[in-house]
Amino acid sequence: MSPYSDKERARALLKDEPQRAPRAREPGRTLQSDEPQRAPRAREPGRTLQRDAPQRAPRTREPERTPRAREPAREPAATVARAGVAPSLGGIRPLGRAGQAALAFALVTGLATHGYHLFEYPLYSTDEGIYVERAWSVIREGRLSPQTYFYDHAPAGWLVLALWEFVLPRHFETFGNPVNSGRVLMLLLHLASVYFLFQIARTFSGSLRAPLIATFFFNFSPLAIYYQREVLLDNMMVFWVLLSIYLVLRRERQLFAGLWSGVAFGMSVVTKENAIFFAPSIYYLLSRRVRWDSRRHFGQMFWLFGAGTAVSIYFLFATLKGELLPAHLSFDLSRPPRGHVSLLYEMWYQIHRNQGALFVRGSYLYTMWEPKDGLLLAAGTIAMAASLYLGWQERRQDPALLVAGTLALEIAFYLARGSVILDFYVLPLIPLYALNIGLIADRALGRIPAPTARVALPALSALWGALLLLPTTGYFVQHGFRGQPNHLADVYNLPLTNVQNEQIAWIRQHIPPNDKIITDEDIWVALHDVRPYYPYAQSHWNAASDPQIRDNLFHSSWQNIDYIVLSNQMKRAMTLNNGNGQENWILDALNNHSTTVWQVTRGNVTLAIYQVQK
Amino acid sequence: MRDIIYAVIVALSIVVTVQSAHTLYLTLYTWNRPPSEASAPEQFQPPRLSFTVMLPARHEEAVIATTVGRVAQANYPAGLMQILVICSADDEGTIAKAEEKITELRRQGVRNVSLVVFHDKPINKPHGLNAGLAKAVMDVVTIFDAEDDIHPEIFNVANTVMVNEQVRVVQGGVQLMNFDSSWYSALNVLEYFFWFKSRLHYHARRGATPLGGNTVFFARDLITRLGGWDETNLTEDADIGLRLSAAGEPIRIVYDDRYVTKEETPPTIRQFIKQRTRWSQGFMQTLKKGTWRELPTGRQRRLAVYTLAFPQAQALLGLYVPFSLLTILSLKAPVLVALVSFLPVLTLLGHFLISVVGLYEFADAHDLKVSPIAIPRLAFGWIPYQLLVSYASMRAVLRHMRGISNWEKTQHVGAHRELADARGLELGEEPSRVALFRQGAGESAAEG
Repeated sequence: MSPYSDKERARALLKDEPQRAPRAREPGRTLQSDEPQRAPRAREPGRTLQRDAPQRAPRTREPERTPRAREPAREPAATVARAGVAPSLGGIRPLGRAGQAALAFALVTGLATHGYHLFEYPLYSTDEGIYVERAWSVIREGRLSPQTYFYDHAPAGWLVLALWEFVLPRHFETFGNPVNSGRVLMLLLHLASVYFLFQIARTFSGSLRAPLIATFFFNFSPLAIYYQREVLLDNMMVFWVLLSIYLVLRRERQLFAGLWSGVAFGMSVVTKENAIFFAPSIYYLLSRRVRWDSRRHFGQMFWLFGAGTAVSIYFLFATLKGELLPAHLSFDLSRPPRGHVSLLYEMWYQIHRNQGALFVRGSYLYTMWEPKDGLLLAAGTIAMAASLYLGWQERRQDPALLVAGTLALEIAFYLARGSVILDFYVLPLIPLYALNIGLIADRALGRIPAPTARVALPALSALWGALLLLPTTGYFVQHGFRGQPNHLADVYNLPLTNVQNEQIAWIRQHIPPNDKIITDEDIWVALHDVRPYYPYAQSHWNAASDPQIRDNLFHSSWQNIDYIVLSNQMKRAMTLNNGNGQENWILDALNNHSTTVWQVTRGNVTLAIYQVQK
Repeated sequence: MRDIIYAVIVALSIVVTVQSAHTLYLTLYTWNRPPSEASAPEQFQPPRLSFTVMLPARHEEAVIATTVGRVAQANYPAGLMQILVICSADDEGTIAKAEEKITELRRQGVRNVSLVVFHDKPINKPHGLNAGLAKAVMDVVTIFDAEDDIHPEIFNVANTVMVNEQVRVVQGGVQLMNFDSSWYSALNVLEYFFWFKSRLHYHARRGATPLGGNTVFFARDLITRLGGWDETNLTEDADIGLRLSAAGEPIRIVYDDRYVTKEETPPTIRQFIKQRTRWSQGFMQTLKKGTWRELPTGRQRRLAVYTLAFPQAQALLGLYVPFSLLTILSLKAPVLVALVSFLPVLTLLGHFLISVVGLYEFADAHDLKVSPIAIPRLAFGWIPYQLLVSYASMRAVLRHMRGISNWEKTQHVGAHRELADARGLELGEEPSRVALFRQGAGESAAEG
């Protein structure tokens, strides 16, 4: 029985144990097209590992269980941009008292919802471990990755993370577990994103209702909180995209505003490549903003130049390393080239990869996203459609709705076409859906006549608040599991990462530092950055795919393993990643030659440590 | 040793990048400010000031007659204008053409044009200007070059600005026009475009202004008090600008596309190099002269030194990009060093893109058409043009070191007039705006 088909089963048995599926390693080579669940990325048949062409086997991640007339909220008409000009074209206006209060509310609630319980929930994931590990490598080793960097992602994200870690007084250990310091950065970026989203929604709508509603969803949605706490490139990308849009809308129409917006957009692309989908909408917004400006050509040129600079530096980097083109100029996807990694080959591979259909049973939409916040997804989709329809009608006078709708459509289309490899790919959709919901709700509420609004609005707000308190929505209260009483939502309540810290503590107390350990990425930095160091602790992903680790350290033999440290669902991930048999020797050690020396189970989360008997 | 080389490359790259980015900022300075700061007044004051127009000319037989005619027929009361054509005694060809034109104008009733001939040395522009200044009798002294196409309203512009704003020095816009003549002409045109339209405003605001050589208006008593122009200086215009700045005299820059004085690019590369060599050497002379030390604030002095010393730096900059590329490729530098050394290339690309946009802005402003070949020509000509300018700067350095400072005159063929005439015929208009005025003036005279 598929573990993804039963939502109840997928929820934690104990209220503090939401199950967490192992995460597939990006970019993810799919294992089998008929895998009922999220297949880990593995090498396609025929793509053998070469000693001198190191490759990484992708990791699968199982779905997680459990996440016209003056309106009272409208700012004074006197502050609206000059008569006849749509708010979105007039630029961001200074905040009045009411606006300042609304913004403060948005920021404080963002801080509270994302900051409270930040270090305890969710579990430290494999991908968080990967990016913290790469940031560690930048600082400690002066390299982009501890292993071969194969251009799975442009490195701007973990370079920023490395810069952040570097300025902290104790670097990675400033907040305890190394992943925690990354999460603090995510919190700060989220607060900045809240500010940008607020201003964008306010400028697009000309009122305070839209930004309040938009930031509400952005802050309170369980789906948002879950993923936005994690140290993920997508969160950093969202920050840069929102910044880029914000800079386009700034009221002071400075000549170089286009340049900085372009630079921010370029940074978003070299943080997470799928940001490129937002380019048409942002450029269109810029063009409309500067249409009647005599300097418009400079503004547009600067935007393109700024955006292109960051991207070109990435390509230049690959060129300087001799890794732009594949060996022998071979782009044959069925036969990966030997010799060296290649940026263009990796891009070619990514473009042709197509898996993770969204609208099929067992997809992330049904197993991960909708259980966490179906309300946001449904309302957001409807709002997006409404924005597109209304926006197209009024595009000549005011492009705001059209831009908001197309921004959401661009990423929704990307997800819907089958590009969903990992569940957190939903991240960029969240603020854009929130934006569209805010704008359409503002429109709808604005149509209520003033006398009626005086009664209707407070009533609607109260009803809305009551709805959100219901366990059905899961915003604040969740259903108990199998007859258990309802309880405060897991995002504020469930301490998950403690078990991982316990695991690390046990390792340090009982395992000699020079032992050879197979582990997962989530605790990699914790073992490599704190004395005593564990230099031979390597993730099963790298042990299986990186020739330097597989051949030089372990020699592909179970007898060279001393311990296997299992993260939650790691064994399943190893099995899913074993399409070509690259993890056979590790699974052999685990299944046939080891004994459990430590294990903790909390709900559906099980962590264990096995000692290999030789 | 390698580490030292890498450190030098990184340091140089950063310096060049910063300098290039700053130049980029100056290039677009005006566009980053309110348009009203740079443009001409929309309404003119009644003519109040009188103008002495000095037209220094040497071997300008091809163009002097037309220029004199256009100045004489400007839209300003003849009684408030004195026009002096200034030649050295040995330039018989230009003198003959000038006398011919003056005679023709007198036959038409225009009597405010006269010829000033000087017999002494040095034979150069500043000496000619000083000779003219001695004969000037009007309130304001202004200079136009022999090949200039002035706008008929330029004196109304200057009169209004000087009266309204109580300034005694006004620099009008000068614009090269024939951007399609040769592979380098577009780049030359754009240099003027960005200099007069943008960068000069920055200098005026900061108080360290190297003036242009024409379309500049001085209160006569001011220029007389300053002692006129430095006859030993190849860029007497830059020198007088700094002397005025040192004296605390505010300078108003007026660049309005409608009223620019039109000029032409040097017709050949040889002429271009001569012109640039003269400018670079003139800047070096001005720098050495030390007028900049009299500027009141440190900021002004630094700006003056930076501007005057730039030609010498430019001599090296032209070699920097190919040198760094060669070094990186041959030394197999670390990736980070190589990335940093490419930063100047990025700013160079920024300059190029600005030039492309600028070319269209320029063409739009003057109702000209940019041909499809113009952009590729701009792209492929960019580096060679920088190398050409660097070569001229190096030539200037050598001449300066060897004490050679004769005036290498630029040839003028009236290429910008051909362009204007062609455009006018295309539009079915009279080739000259002055002709329209003349026609109107003739009709008014007939009615009166």
